[in-house]
Amino acid sequence: MGYKKIFNVALGLTLMVTGVGASCVFASNPPPEGETGSVAVRLFLTEGAVPADDPNAAVWNTIEPAEFKLAPQVHWPDRIQEVTVKSVKVRGVHNGEDMAILLEYADPSEDAADAAAVEFMVGDKMAHFAHGQEMLQIEGGDVNIWYWKKEHGKATDMTAKGFKTLRPQENQDVSATGAWQDGTWRVVFSRSLQTGDALDVQVTPGEWRNVAFAFWDGEIVDGDVKEKGSQKAISSWWYLRAEPPPDNSIYGYVVLGIVLAAGFEFFLVRKIRRGNES
Amino acid sequence: MKGPLAKTAILLVGMYVFLKFILPLFTAPLPASLIFLYLALTFASAMIFYTMSGGSLDEFMGPVGRFLTGSGQAGIAGTARILVFVLFPLLVGWQTYTRLAPSDLPPAENRTIHPAPPGEFVGLANPYPRTPENIMMGKGLYAAFCSPCHGANFDGKGPAAVGFNPPPANFSDPGTIAQLQESYLFWRIKKGGVGLPVEAMPWKSAMPRWEVELPDEWIWKIIMGEYDGAGQSPRTWEEEE
Ligand code: HEC
Repeated sequence: MGYKKIFNVALGLTLMVTGVGASCVFASNPPPEGETGSVAVRLFLTEGAVPADDPNAAVWNTIEPAEFKLAPQVHWPDRIQEVTVKSVKVRGVHNGEDMAILLEYADPSEDAADAAAVEFMVGDKMAHFAHGQEMLQIEGGDVNIWYWKKEHGKATDMTAKGFKTLRPQENQDVSATGAWQDGTWRVVFSRSLQTGDALDVQVTPGEWRNVAFAFWDGEIVDGDVKEKGSQKAISSWWYLRAEPPPDNSIYGYVVLGIVLAAGFEFFLVRKIRRGNES
Repeated sequence: MKGPLAKTAILLVGMYVFLKFILPLFTAPLPASLIFLYLALTFASAMIFYTMSGGSLDEFMGPVGRFLTGSGQAGIAGTARILVFVLFPLLVGWQTYTRLAPSDLPPAENRTIHPAPPGEFVGLANPYPRTPENIMMGKGLYAAFCSPCHGANFDGKGPAAVGFNPPPANFSDPGTIAQLQESYLFWRIKKGGVGLPVEAMPWKSAMPRWEVELPDEWIWKIIMGEYDGAGQSPRTWEEEE
């Protein structure tokens, strides 16, 4: 009998085993990093209108929040060593057109200068989480900041690329509403997923975006606002994704895989049987 | 031999083009590992079909072949054979499913923690002598500027350390500064997170760029205080060789 043929069988079987083995290896997802707190905000897909300006809408209570810890800003002057807001719970929904993000955090007092912000990377260029500050070895991009302040009663849609470059955008696309009760702020930001403005983050269902948070306690202490400007509670980049619509093509692929495997078995057995007959 | 091989090659190329380019026109693209799995199955089937006579295969497979064809089998062996035949396609189907099932995990991050420093920071020696006064001064500066993040105990657990990804380095861990030279620390402290190259993801680092606030002299003394306080010593040039 031909050695070539034995070789071929061995090769075929080896390839098959490697194929299954390799896909087992690839299939194991890496564990999420960061033992404490969440790594990502998930915008759940819903039907109908999103609760764009209602921090107390019933739908929020049906959503599992992501929770992020916050640190006093000691990265650059003016620093602050102790902040009021220590962590934030984040919930999100979208309907394929619009999205709404609810920030819930503890703040013992309701003050005119209380404020919250959500920051996003914009476009393809990576941007540093500290207002898109200059990076030395790579060129960074813009950040888009959605800022809400109690006394303004609305959101401001802003852009920054480096310190001292923060400015309101020409096109204001974001709205925000806050409600304080029993020591808890609930602030909802909303916008359409896509705006067509190059300065805005564009949210595409299924794609990951980078998001960071900041909060200011506007309480008046000794005649001065306690936290303002760079004195705030912050996070660095975490992830955000609008849930993609369910994808049924996956079942087609499962069937394809089963058919191919069954075909392989069929050929194998048929060949051996023929051999037996001859 | 040429005929079957060419046919196999055409089949494989056709399958690849179908999986990689034609299917994605209609549905989501397949991950590379699944394309590989499917091609491997196609290849193995084609090899068996085209290139082998049944007899040699039977000889080669022996008892396995008899098991697979089911000749003269009954009872447990027969059941086992059916089980194998059912389980193998199911395994492939299950692999497909786990590969494609929508994941809520963000993309894996392969961040290089200790990238190569720029040339001008290689091999610099600390110009200040390791005197108790210098170490003392370094520890004082560390307490003022670094401990909020890196911790008063050099363990990376300062009050301002939470909420950052990656977290502030833990200097008491033998995997951080004990692996590094003083000149490397000088670079990292002076240029901060924003001074990192792309593979270290500078946009994520909360490490400040201290050159805008601290003179070089302070930075060298902080390095001394940092090693002393963390109970580590810097990697030297001799070890490097
Ligand atoms: C705002 C928080 C913060 C402060 C303040 C801070 N660091 Fe860092 N530091 C970090 C983070 C986060 C990292 C990890 C990411 C990185 O390597 O850039 C880090 C990394 C480092 C590293 C690199 C360690 C390694 O294994 O590669 C050194 C050295 C360092 N810091 C020294 C200092 C010194 C000295 C000071 C004070 C002058 C200081 N840091 C102040 C947040 C901080």
